[in-house]
Amino acid sequence: MRAYLERAKEHDEFMKKQQFEYNIGKRHLANMMGEDPETFTQKDVDRAIEYLFPSGIYDPAARPLMKPPEEVFPARKAAEFDEAGRPHHYLFYTGKPNFFKLLYDAAENIQLLQQFEDKVIRKKATPDPNGKLDLNATFWLTKDQLEQLLVEKLTDLEYDNFKLVMERLVSLPYSYRCKDFIEKFRKSLTSQKFALEIPKPSYDDQGRAFVTTYECLRKKARGDVTIRSPGTGLITINGKDLTYFEDTQSREQVIFPLIFTGLENKVDVECNIEGGGPSGQAGAIRWGIAWGLRSFVDKDMLEAMQVAGLLTRDHRRRERKKPGQPGARKKPTWKRR
Amino acid sequence: MLPRYLRNSIKNGGLYLRNNSTVAQTVPQKEPENTQESVPKRSNPLEHPDYFHVHNLFTVKDLFDARVHFGHKEGSLNEYMTPYLYGSRLGHLIFDLDITADHLRKALNFTAHIAYRGGIICFFNRNALNAHLVERTAQECGEYAHTRFWRGGIFTNANHQFGAITRLPDLCIFLNTQNNILSQHTAVRDSAKMLIPTIGIVDSNCNPNLVTYPVPGNDDTPCAIELYCKLFKAAILRGKEERMKLLQES
Repeated sequence: MRAYLERAKEHDEFMKKQQFEYNIGKRHLANMMGEDPETFTQKDVDRAIEYLFPSGIYDPAARPLMKPPEEVFPARKAAEFDEAGRPHHYLFYTGKPNFFKLLYDAAENIQLLQQFEDKVIRKKATPDPNGKLDLNATFWLTKDQLEQLLVEKLTDLEYDNFKLVMERLVSLPYSYRCKDFIEKFRKSLTSQKFALEIPKPSYDDQGRAFVTTYECLRKKARGDVTIRSPGTGLITINGKDLTYFEDTQSREQVIFPLIFTGLENKVDVECNIEGGGPSGQAGAIRWGIAWGLRSFVDKDMLEAMQVAGLLTRDHRRRERKKPGQPGARKKPTWKRR
Repeated sequence: MLPRYLRNSIKNGGLYLRNNSTVAQTVPQKEPENTQESVPKRSNPLEHPDYFHVHNLFTVKDLFDARVHFGHKEGSLNEYMTPYLYGSRLGHLIFDLDITADHLRKALNFTAHIAYRGGIICFFNRNALNAHLVERTAQECGEYAHTRFWRGGIFTNANHQFGAITRLPDLCIFLNTQNNILSQHTAVRDSAKMLIPTIGIVDSNCNPNLVTYPVPGNDDTPCAIELYCKLFKAAILRGKEERMKLLQES
């Protein structure tokens, strides 16, 4: 115990020192950025670091960072035994008491639910129709998150066991009775799909709703697309109509989102596009039209557009030519002799 | 050779711990008053043959009802277990419950003494069927349990495993001593290495040699394990109760 106390004291001192240094560093950073050190938040710190030490390293974890010491140094367990040397936790000798306590609790809950089910059957009662556990919007904690929660390192096998026992618990008919226990180990699936705000259309002097999408990019082409809502299906590309594109494929590309949403004769489209070739320009316009149409369609159609891939940006660019070969991938003709 | 407290009790004319057989029910009523007369309060508990009256925790009938007498099949017999057998029936070995009761009382007595002296008691069991019950028992009597995969070195390399100087258990109770049907639990060997006394329920296919207090009996059936858990829990609680009294007096 004495050895433990010494180590704990050492750790506390170390953390205090790190905290002190972090605060000093934060003030320096605030002064460098010309902001008020008192109101300088962690977000500002991250921004400042990104500005002062620009880094193109692929993995964000390898880029320079400045975080509070609690985040940098992993949390440590508090004292696990008392003065007499008796551990506090009854599963201490397993080495992973928190994890095995979790398994124990899950098994305990399973037993209780089974007993409850027996009781219901014996009483010939009908199950509560309102009691239903909705787990669609959540998923189990990942291994890392669970490790962080339990402050213990887990093996893959142990994590699989955790998932197995929890799935078994959830599959029981009365699992809603231990909802609190289950939800402790689930994380909500944050909806990424339409996280971006859909813009409200503005109105021009003729009272027509319009939405302009800037920065419609595809390959080297860039431009902007304006959609006006009560319209007749007029498409204007750099002052010309759809015949701006010579080939039918590009024309199809442009009108595809309009046909898909069934708005081809109800809106007017006006675009300015430059750079790139016909297919790049057509792709940029297609994306711009689809992105702008979000303001004029309902939620189901939005879902369908998402599934059809209309709202997905195509980030592919031309691949560079490599020295020693004629193209990006093309190799010189191979001859044995 | 009988232990000293047994020899004393024989000399005194009363068989304390071997009073079981099938008429054991009559004896417990007689014993407590006997002990209260002969032993003044706060005498040295170690001088008394059965200070915590663990002999009245169970009867041989209880053991029989909990199916403790069922061993494994003849072919799997470990020959060190032959002295504890009564015979065999339809190819299954049957334990002599009088011997089992004797051993179990000694084990319970020892458990109560360890609990009385504030020792750490750790329950072991590698049978998944009974693991939950064993863990619950340990929790209820404020002691410890290990029913999971045994990482090597928990006892023999404890300071490294737990990252600090760690106090090891003072008594290991094995509700089964096998790790799987083929091999013995490593903790039995490790306890012996670290001089930690052990109590083990040894079935007819187990090796009792490394166990300090072997208790021959069925180690698989849930109701048998339930009985053992109940008995050990009662013995520990009795020991702890006495300890609380002692601490309050002093």
